[in-house]
Formats: sequence, structure tokens, C-alpha cells
Amino acid sequence: MKVFVESSDVLPLVDVEIALPVGSLRDPAGREGLAQLTGQLMRFGPRGLSRERFEERLAHLGARLSVEVSMRTTRIRATVLRRNLEPLLALLARMVWEPALRGRDFAKLKRQAQASLVARLDDDQTLGAICFREALFGTHPYSRPLSGHPESIARIGVDQVEDFYSRHVGHGAFFVGIAGDVIDAEARAMIASVFPAAGHRTSRSAEVPPTRARPGRHVVIVDKPERAQTQLFIGTLGARTRDRDLFPLIVSNTAFGGTFSSPLMQQVRAVRGWSYGAYSRLLHSTQRDAWYMWSAPAAEYSAECAALQLELLERWVERGITRAELGFAQRYLINSHCFDRDTPAKRLEAKLDIELLGIPRSYIEKHDELVAGVDRQRANDSTRARISTRDLIIVVVATANDVVASFEALPGVQSVEILPFDEV
Amino acid sequence: MAAPDVLVERLNRGVRKRNARWTFVSEQAFGEALELRRFRLGNGLAVLTLVDRAAPTISYHTWFRVGSRDERPGKTGLAHLFEHLMFNETRSHALGEFDRLMERAGAEANAATWTDWTFFYENAPRGALPLLIELEADRMSNLVLRVPQVTSEKEVVANERKLRVEDDVEGKALELLYANAFRRHPYRWPTIGWMEDIRGFTVRDCRDFYRAHYAPNNATVVIAGDFDEKKALASMQEHYGGLSGTRLRPKKRVKEPSQRAERVVHFPAPTPTPKLLVGYPAPAFSHPDTAALVVANELLFGGRSSRLHRLLCVDREVALSVRGSISPFVDPGLYEMWFAIREGTKIQRVIALLDKELRRLESRGPAATELEKAINQLELSFLHTMETAGGKAEQVGFHETVVHDGAAVFKRLASYRQVTAEDVRRAVVKYLRPFRRTRVEITPKTP
Repeated sequence: MKVFVESSDVLPLVDVEIALPVGSLRDPAGREGLAQLTGQLMRFGPRGLSRERFEERLAHLGARLSVEVSMRTTRIRATVLRRNLEPLLALLARMVWEPALRGRDFAKLKRQAQASLVARLDDDQTLGAICFREALFGTHPYSRPLSGHPESIARIGVDQVEDFYSRHVGHGAFFVGIAGDVIDAEARAMIASVFPAAGHRTSRSAEVPPTRARPGRHVVIVDKPERAQTQLFIGTLGARTRDRDLFPLIVSNTAFGGTFSSPLMQQVRAVRGWSYGAYSRLLHSTQRDAWYMWSAPAAEYSAECAALQLELLERWVERGITRAELGFAQRYLINSHCFDRDTPAKRLEAKLDIELLGIPRSYIEKHDELVAGVDRQRANDSTRARISTRDLIIVVVATANDVVASFEALPGVQSVEILPFDEV
Repeated sequence: MAAPDVLVERLNRGVRKRNARWTFVSEQAFGEALELRRFRLGNGLAVLTLVDRAAPTISYHTWFRVGSRDERPGKTGLAHLFEHLMFNETRSHALGEFDRLMERAGAEANAATWTDWTFFYENAPRGALPLLIELEADRMSNLVLRVPQVTSEKEVVANERKLRVEDDVEGKALELLYANAFRRHPYRWPTIGWMEDIRGFTVRDCRDFYRAHYAPNNATVVIAGDFDEKKALASMQEHYGGLSGTRLRPKKRVKEPSQRAERVVHFPAPTPTPKLLVGYPAPAFSHPDTAALVVANELLFGGRSSRLHRLLCVDREVALSVRGSISPFVDPGLYEMWFAIREGTKIQRVIALLDKELRRLESRGPAATELEKAINQLELSFLHTMETAGGKAEQVGFHETVVHDGAAVFKRLASYRQVTAEDVRRAVVKYLRPFRRTRVEITPKTP
């Protein structure tokens, strides 16, 4: 196991992270949600300690604990009062390497997971985001929702959780990070005394095939009753983490829709007042992840807003960003970079990202140089090479009857699908 | 750092304008390592400095003592609209320039409005402080309020309301709770305002509001982080020293009549599961009973080992999530409790379980270990708020505005430590009576 320490005596507080490069991409087809259920069941505590007593002990230490599963990682994060660091580490070690994984707890967890999927229907933005990824990635593993579907959750039993734990977690390649009021040697000694003395294992990342864009422009309307406001996602494929033009694309996207001053926000919000916000996001992973624009216009001008965003997108891709926009985005990215490292926990996170996500060390250590090194030509070439204006997914969460005709009329739209909101 | 009285003397040398002369007010410990200093400019602007070199960042907060309570029926939402308008054109800077300059400097600028206050903040790299001072001083007195800006921002706010209230079950429930729990006090209307009021604002309404509330003598500036105090105060003298105070009207004190019977609001909504929002009248934030209620809240709702989470979400499986909070208001507010109920469970069942648990807490009070656990969790929450310069500045600004003591956050933590089991029991008996509460019951609307 690799250990990282980020010391700071500013507050009597310590963050602990135990992480491994295992996430929902390991979910078997038809059992989506397995990685997350495994993490959540581990969270119920170790053998020899009931769920209730485990929670009591954590709370009594002045600790908070979460297990977060993403596509490619599982991160067990805890924060604790400094005076209780040692007992917390001992408790965490038991939870991670001797989890109870009890059948009766799993039955409750499964009912809770199903109930959460029902409750999620209240959240229009989440519904839109899930639907967007499903429409964009189709059958590719990147389309899988972390929490699974009601059907996939129903198929998962505690034996599959035990199996997943034993194959991917119990013997996984762990990284341990400690940040806060503890010095390096002390932290390492504490870890050595409570964590298993295993050497560091390596774990191959889940391999996934390249993502492919669906040709053409396609609209999906997530039909929900009584929507005064809509949630609008327009996007296409984004970037790979190791793409050579990742930084030019980051700078270009920042200029287009990454700040309050960017043309996307200005045209949608400041000039027209159509949406409380509008931004564009560039995601990257081992294969091309998503690039998308988000806004939340009122139903009466949702399609008009989509048309405007499409026009802005075409202008950005075809004409590129100006020299002034480039300089502005570079200064913004460089100057605000201090907020990526203003707490020990954030500095630790950056170190762990290098290990867990395969992010090149230079992205963190030479961030400012990489941003400053982008010229206008490279920014615009990378935008044209990566961001398609032809192959686009447009997802709108709205009352279908209010918007269907106007979305059908958007330029270049080849199909319009209406999906009831409770089927997302 | 120079002694504050010496610093002030140096800064005031040769300064003739009364508005631009500094007064040193006080200095107090802020935790074990930091010092919070309080200064006042001649025009009434209060400035609190907290030098903290933990990270190369600064946070600049401007708190105005104006919120939705300062509005009147028919003009609700004006304080919140103003939060938006303050990012627009000034006599010195064109539309959009404020955000452009801030973002180019790497600063994050935003604002928030609630019942008793409005605050504007920037979190920025340490070198950006002169820019922040210049731009904040500028918009405190030079805002341009014309038809295009007001019209556009009204539309943005109307859309924000649709997003956060009309299409959001929880937002709608909160609005209904306060509208029914309060009959006289201005806390009864939503901070974002009623839609018809938002639509009806005129440029004149905005200008009047600006003149009445946006002035140095109605504001507190907090600077926290890695900065040179002397340079900061000198720069503030230059930029704020020319501003004049306004004639502030005394705050109206409205006493809400005591509630004598339970109020219940039924609201069918397009949602798949029932929800329950309960509000019990709670004391003002500065009231001594608040500490005991905060501890009670931690026992009931603080994390997975709390009483109501365990009872409702784990043992009985009738709720998916529960939470509680006490409104941190200048005047008495509400103790809010939210229950996201599972499909198929009747709201009445959750209410019965809630009442039973409250009676249990009332009759026996918490055990010593349970109390200690709650205090540890509150200490953890407190430390979390202190992690960044922005967190510290917000705590200082909030406490200065609401209880007139920027360092009171430490006193609050000490007051939680002094709460006894009997205090908790007494607080439950005094405040959590069913006949005094208001309930909003949201049921799924059948298509």
C-alpha cells in the first residue's frame, strides 16, 4: 500500500482517505450498481461490531465517514478530531479489511437503494444528467449510472457483493492518504501499526473500448408533468486524460463556457435573462468522456435557448476563440489554481488523483506552464478536432407537450424521443 | 504586525476628511493562533481583519444589514434582486466588467441574501486584494440602475424562482412553512420574493432601496487570509474614505404572536414520495436557549447514529433521509425538521414516531456519552467551517452581523460544551410542543 501524507498544523483536524482504483466500470452487465452497493455495505462496519455500534463509535470519536464510488475509483474518506486519529485508523482498518457484509444489513441496504432511485425522480437536473450520459454513450460502460437501475439492483445478492469485495477490494491496490495535523513520520507509524502489512499491489484499470458518438443530432425529452422550468443538456464526446491537446481544449472550453464572463453565460443569462446559469464542462477519462453545455431555461423559451446555444457552439468551433478570450481564460485558470491546493485535504487529493486516475504528474506540478503554453492556434485546432457540431445529444427535462414541437424544429435534428421521467 | 493603535495613527496622518479617518475599536483572540481586529472608518464602515497565512489566498466579505425582513408586502424579493443587480454596471465599470476583472484575477465572486442580511464575497489569490477593495467600494455607491439592467435581472430571478421553488418540492415546502408559521413577522415571505412582486419591481424601487441600505454605515467588511493589514487599510481609506453614510431607519421590531394550535398545510405535488416539513417556533440566534436546541438537534438528526436517523431510516425504514436545523435569525425563527418519506408510508406514522422520540428525549434526556458524542460532532462541524480563509470570513461576518461579535463563533462552541442533559430536556419541553408547530405535508399527486 502506498501512503501519502500532507501535514498542516493549522487546525486540530485530520482527513484520512483510503482509496483504490475500482469503480462502477467493474459492474457486470445487468448488475449495475454492484460497486456502489459493495462500498455502502462496507460502510456498515466490520465483523464483530454491529452497524449501530460502529456508527456510535465513529460519532463518538468526532469523525465523519463516507464511501464514494465513481466510475473508476472507490474512496473511503473520513475526517476526525486530531486527538482521536489513532482509534479512527484502527476502526477504518477493520472496516476495510474485515467488513461484516451481513445479509440482514444487505437486505436493508437494497431496500434503501431502491427507495433512493425512486426519490431521485424529484431531482430534474440529476435525471437530465443520467439521461444525457445514457443517450451519449449508448451501450458503452460510460453510460452506466453508478446507482444502477431498479432491475439491476433487484438482481444483486449479498453473495455477489462478497465476491466483488473479495476480487476487487479486499486484495486491491490501496492508496492511503492522511492530511492535516499530523507529521509525516507519525502518520506512517500509525498506519503501519494498524493497517495490514501487505506490500503495494498493482491493479489494472478496468479496460473499456473507445467511446463512439452517435451520428447526427438527437433529442431526448424526459417527460415530467407540471414543469415551469426545463433542464437542458447539449453535448458530445469530450477528451481522454492523456490526449495531447487536453490543455488546449481545457483553455478553449474555459473561454467558451467555463466562467461567468464567458460568451455562453453572458448570452444566455446576462443578455437575455433566460436561465439562472449556463456553463460548459469538459470531462476526460481513459476514453473520451463527455463535453456538454447546461442551462435551465423556462419552458416557454427552452427551445429558443437550445437554438441559441447551438449557434454559439457552431461559432465557437468554426471561428475559434479570440486572442483576448485566450488570454482571459489562461489568466483565470492560472490565478484561480491556488484554490485547488488551499487546504491539506485538497493537496492530498491531487496526489491521490495521480495514482488513481493515471493523471500525468505534470498536469498537477506544471499546471500553470501547461496552461500558459497554449496558443490560439492550438486551442482552436483542438476544439475543431474534438468538439462535434454535427453529432450532438440534446436532452431536455420538461413537460413534453409544452416543448416537443419546438425541439423537433431545431436545426439538424434527426430524431426526437420522449422518455417518461419515471423510466430514466 | 504593527500595534493597531500605532497603525491607525500612521494611517490618519495628514488625512483631513472625517469619513476617511480610521478608529481602532478592539482586538480579540480568534482561536489559539489568530487575532481578530476591528476598525471603523469615519463614515461608519466597520472593518474586521484576520491575518492568516495558512494559504496564499484571501477572502473579502461585505455584509450589509439588509435582508428580506426590510421589505414590505408587495415589494418582497427586493433585497435578493439587489444581490443580483450589484454585479451590474457602475459609473466606473461597464456591464460585465466586474466579473471579467474578478475572474481574470482568479477570484470567485458571489453573494447570498437571507432574512436579516445580504453578503457579497470574493475568494481570491492574495495579490488580488487591491482590486477587490476598489471594485467593492465602487459598487457600494456607484451602481447604475436603469431599465435594461433591472428588466434583465428580474427575468433571471423569475427563472431562479421557477428553478428553486415552483419546480422544487422542498423549496415549495419551505415557502409554505414560513408563510403559515408566521402571521405578522416579515419572516413570513420568501427571501426570493413572490413572483408577482418580482415581476412588478420598477427602477425607482431599486434606486430607493439602494439609497436606503447600501452605504458604509450599514456594512461590515471582513478580510481574512494572507494580506498586509497596513496596505489593506490604506487602500480602503483611499477607496471607501470618500463615501458618505446614509440615514438609516431603525429596524422595525415585530413580535410574532405565540402559536396556540398546530397548523397543518396539505400540498399535493408531482413527486413520487411523501414529504414532511415541520417547523417549531425557535428562539433568536442570540438567545441562550439556542445552544441547548442545537445540541438537541445534533442528538436527533446529527449523522447516522442520531436518534431519528436510526429510528426512521434504519430500524423502521419509513424515511430515506431526515434532517433538522435551527434558523440562525436575529429574531425568533423556526426549528425546521425535514423528512423524506419512503413510498407507501403514511405521513401520520412518521409524525407519531417523531412525537414518541421527542417525548422520550423529554422524559429521560440524553445519557452523558450521547451528549459527549454530540459535542464532538459539533466541534468537528465547527473546525470544518474554519478550514479556508473564506470559511473564517463567513463566520466572522455572520456573527458580527447577527450578534455584533465577529469572534462569537468560538463562544458558541464553548456554549455547546456547557450544555447539560437537563438543558436539552428543558429545551425540548419548552420548544418542541406539538400544538405550537406548523406542518407541511406533501403527498404525491395522482396523475
